[in-house]
Amino acid sequence: MTTIVKPVNARRSISIPWGHIFLWILATLGAVVAVYRLFYGLGAATNLSDGRPWGLWISFDVVTGVALAAGGFTIGFIVKILHLKRFYPILRPTILTAFLGYVIAASSVVLDIGLPWRIWHPLVYQNFHSPMLEVALCVMTYTTVLALEVSDPFFEGMGWKSAKRVVEVFMIPLMVLGVVLSTMHQSSLGTLFVLASKRVFGLWKTGYLPLLFFISAVAVGLAMTILEANFAASAYDMDAEQDLLGDLGLYAAWVLLTYLVIKISTLVGSGGVRDLWSGGINNVLYFVEVIGGIILPMILLFIPSIRKSRKALFRTAWIVVLGVVLNRLDVSFFGFAGTPYIPTWMEWAINISMISAAILFYDFFVRHFPIFNNEH
Amino acid sequence: MGNKTLDRREFLKIAGASVGGLLLTAGGAAAAESSKTGDGIKSVPNGYAMLYDATKCVGCRACQTACREANHTPPELDVTGNYDEPMDLSGDTWTLIKLYKDPSESSFVKKQCMHCIDPACVTACPLGALHITPEGAVAYHQDICFGCRYCMVACPFEVPRYQWRSVTPYIQKCDFCVSNGRLEHGETPACVVACPTGALKFGTRPELLSEAHERIKKETNTYVDHIFGEHEAGGTHALYLSAVPFEKLGFPKLNDTPYPAKITIPLDIGVPGIIVGMTTFATGTYFVTGRKEERTKKEETHDNDS
Amino acid sequence: MESNGRSLVEKSLIARGISRRDFFKYCALVAGTLALPTSYGLRVAEALEKKSERLPVIWLELQDCAGCSESFTRAAKPSAADVVLDLISLNYHETLMATAGTQAEKLREDTIKVGGYLVIVEGAIPSSEGDIYCTIGGKTAEQILHDTVKNAVAVVSVGSCSSFGGLPKTYPNPTGAKRVMDLVKDKPILNLPGCPVNAVNITATLVHFLTFGKLPAIDDKLHRPLFAYGSLIHNNCPRRGHFNRGKFVREWGDEGHKKGWCLYKMGCKGPVTFSNCPLVKWNDSVSWPIGSGHGCIGCTEPDFWDHPLYLPVKIQEVSPPAFYPAVGVETEKPIDATSVAVTGAIAGAILGAVGAAAVTKNRHSKDGNGQSSGES
Repeated sequence: MTTIVKPVNARRSISIPWGHIFLWILATLGAVVAVYRLFYGLGAATNLSDGRPWGLWISFDVVTGVALAAGGFTIGFIVKILHLKRFYPILRPTILTAFLGYVIAASSVVLDIGLPWRIWHPLVYQNFHSPMLEVALCVMTYTTVLALEVSDPFFEGMGWKSAKRVVEVFMIPLMVLGVVLSTMHQSSLGTLFVLASKRVFGLWKTGYLPLLFFISAVAVGLAMTILEANFAASAYDMDAEQDLLGDLGLYAAWVLLTYLVIKISTLVGSGGVRDLWSGGINNVLYFVEVIGGIILPMILLFIPSIRKSRKALFRTAWIVVLGVVLNRLDVSFFGFAGTPYIPTWMEWAINISMISAAILFYDFFVRHFPIFNNEH
Repeated sequence: MGNKTLDRREFLKIAGASVGGLLLTAGGAAAAESSKTGDGIKSVPNGYAMLYDATKCVGCRACQTACREANHTPPELDVTGNYDEPMDLSGDTWTLIKLYKDPSESSFVKKQCMHCIDPACVTACPLGALHITPEGAVAYHQDICFGCRYCMVACPFEVPRYQWRSVTPYIQKCDFCVSNGRLEHGETPACVVACPTGALKFGTRPELLSEAHERIKKETNTYVDHIFGEHEAGGTHALYLSAVPFEKLGFPKLNDTPYPAKITIPLDIGVPGIIVGMTTFATGTYFVTGRKEERTKKEETHDNDS
Repeated sequence: MESNGRSLVEKSLIARGISRRDFFKYCALVAGTLALPTSYGLRVAEALEKKSERLPVIWLELQDCAGCSESFTRAAKPSAADVVLDLISLNYHETLMATAGTQAEKLREDTIKVGGYLVIVEGAIPSSEGDIYCTIGGKTAEQILHDTVKNAVAVVSVGSCSSFGGLPKTYPNPTGAKRVMDLVKDKPILNLPGCPVNAVNITATLVHFLTFGKLPAIDDKLHRPLFAYGSLIHNNCPRRGHFNRGKFVREWGDEGHKKGWCLYKMGCKGPVTFSNCPLVKWNDSVSWPIGSGHGCIGCTEPDFWDHPLYLPVKIQEVSPPAFYPAVGVETEKPIDATSVAVTGAIAGAILGAVGAAAVTKNRHSKDGNGQSSGES
């Protein structure tokens, strides 16, 4: 259980150092651009304007990134709270990626807000009526929670037994807290766009956005877990726990079904149906999202043979993830009213560099600490 | 708003303190104790208001200039950084006169903050940098703001603007001359004083509303039979009279529900519900499944995992 | 142009002791007033110099005050402008001609018989009570007008009375005064309103007619030449800056009046009056009403006498976006090519990756199945 497991020998990744070098270049470039943004301001680095106050960083890194990092609380709930211990092997890698996802989101927020050195202000000044405050506090707290959860394998790897024992004592409350906080801010991300409903396109404009955001976060959390298990399996020469993943796929199918039912009924309820055929790119995106991103993977995941096939399950999980990504971008980016906006290369550079840095960190951490460790 | 929100706030304080206490003992406690602006959003339905009569406006832009001088906002610059006439509200322009014109009719319109009774921006602001003053104006503490720009996204009139060029940018918008002290000293806002034609009038909201109704009654043929801001989004402190339909003047079509009411259910009921419900559910599930697991463990005396 | 002094222009120049250089300068000035390119100055001069016959002109004075004639003939000193007057043969002008009675009327009738003349009308035409208010030689004003216009090439109404009815037509209009446009339908009509008309505009119109053989371009509704009445006084007003800054004279003789602020509040009609007064001014370009501290009374506009002289007008003629931002203009950040290129490339890469993954699905699926069966 507490024995220190030797790091996984990552033979394959050593044989392709070019990938690492490339990622390092991207990460460094982003760091340079980040410094530029800090010294020259938002107007110089981004294409944001008064007509379009939120752009790529908020839509992609925060709204979408936080959704993608939902695997952390989903798997935490399954393993630690539902006591489905057989999913334990994928707990640590999923929580690690969730942690990195939240770090990306938080870093983006730091760069995106006008006065980054005031990022601590939510701890002192609060307006409790604001969904933004809820998101800010929850993300801050939950990132800390995830850091503590990640510190478990870290202490294990470093051999700091007493520290690890302290963390282990708090592990269950941390998991509970993680679930509560995630439920709060995953849904509050939707609340953000309820108050800002003027800018949301009719097909996504509903008061039930918080509920929809939460349910889809659970679905994407399950799908991300499947993906990460597969990535890790191929990159680090390990077995993917196919039967476990297949079960997760079935859960995801049921969640998607719930999501679909609520999504359609709220569309009818909010009167958004009349926007269905109004023409334009938003309508196409809606159909792609609902048919391609929800109905298609849901049907696929209900088919046992697909859940048994590693590749098929892997690809179906991809579809789920892309569907939810599309949903978040539809709400906050494509269907978001404002003056025309195209991100600058600097906005992209920051984005890509943060993802690169996260991959590098993941690679480093996985190789030096017991993440893929089936013994417990 | 009202009592319910206060209750909720108390609840959140406790919840916040308990959540914070786990991890950010110092910070969380500080959060609960020293929140300077979190003392509820108190709307002032009968505060000071401004009546703009578009039929009397001649487009001299005296208000624009007076605003600039009173609030010390710098002149508008174009993309290349040269002086330019403002084309829209911006980080440097808090009010401006726009023109609607088609072959049959034309009208000026003054763009500025509408000073909603229940403003979306004040609810949106996570830090309480935007707040309602006792006079009814929606004002801004720039020392608190950290620049998330949610107010810009949430405002149905798209009024708050940002100083994009600056490295230390702040939100900028009309505050009924609260920040420059005019209102405090019993003076009316600079733009009202500057108006040469009486198109702008300052007073309490009920006063101005009754006057606006009278004007419409007297000159039925001149005015559109509607006061913009009387009911829109729960009512605003900037009231508009016009001879041209308000949609043509760039005003959004809004129903009478205040924007903050849209998030009452998810935020005021949903969040406490989640905190209590999810904590109970998760903890409960943990113990229930844990006991079940122990039973199976005892039976099998084995790990259920390979 | 030899020295035999045959051309009218040369004779006139010699008689007045004006140099040819001054004449050319004058022609360039008139070309400028007519809003013609500078090169037209020479063309104008050439055209005028070639004239060997004077243009016959009949100047009718009906319900008038002779103010426009005063304005036309006023000259502080002999100038190049007088040369133009030598190019016309003013066959009939009640105030100026030496003859009287039957002789005078015969001169008019002779001119009509020959034809090819220009009619200039000053004063309104009465119509009530059998046209008794203005008769000359036993003929009513309307009769005279109809007879005279019969063989004319064109009709020029000078002053507000003939153009728009002017003072006689002011409420309650006891004489039933009419404008020329109401009575003459089959001839080209040009209105030069003003109370009185600016002499510069008469000479410029004559020069245009002499040079090009036709009247200058006019607006459709009020038949005013665009060169003189094409833009608002307000838009060329030297006090416009004060208007835009809201600096108004609020009382005669107050601080603002002494400092030359905007006279709008004092009833200046500049914002609704079309005229070139601010450019050409009066009395040999010495000054003009607004320049001397009194608001414009709007004398080039129809029915200006009916408006209260000292009450501000409602500003109507304004044109977005040159002077006012139009409703609906939003702050936009111009999209640069780099952003489009980078965003396009990244979007393409993402879509390409998704597409490639979808295409390769079948190729790997067998392999995947095999693997999955080997597990669990």
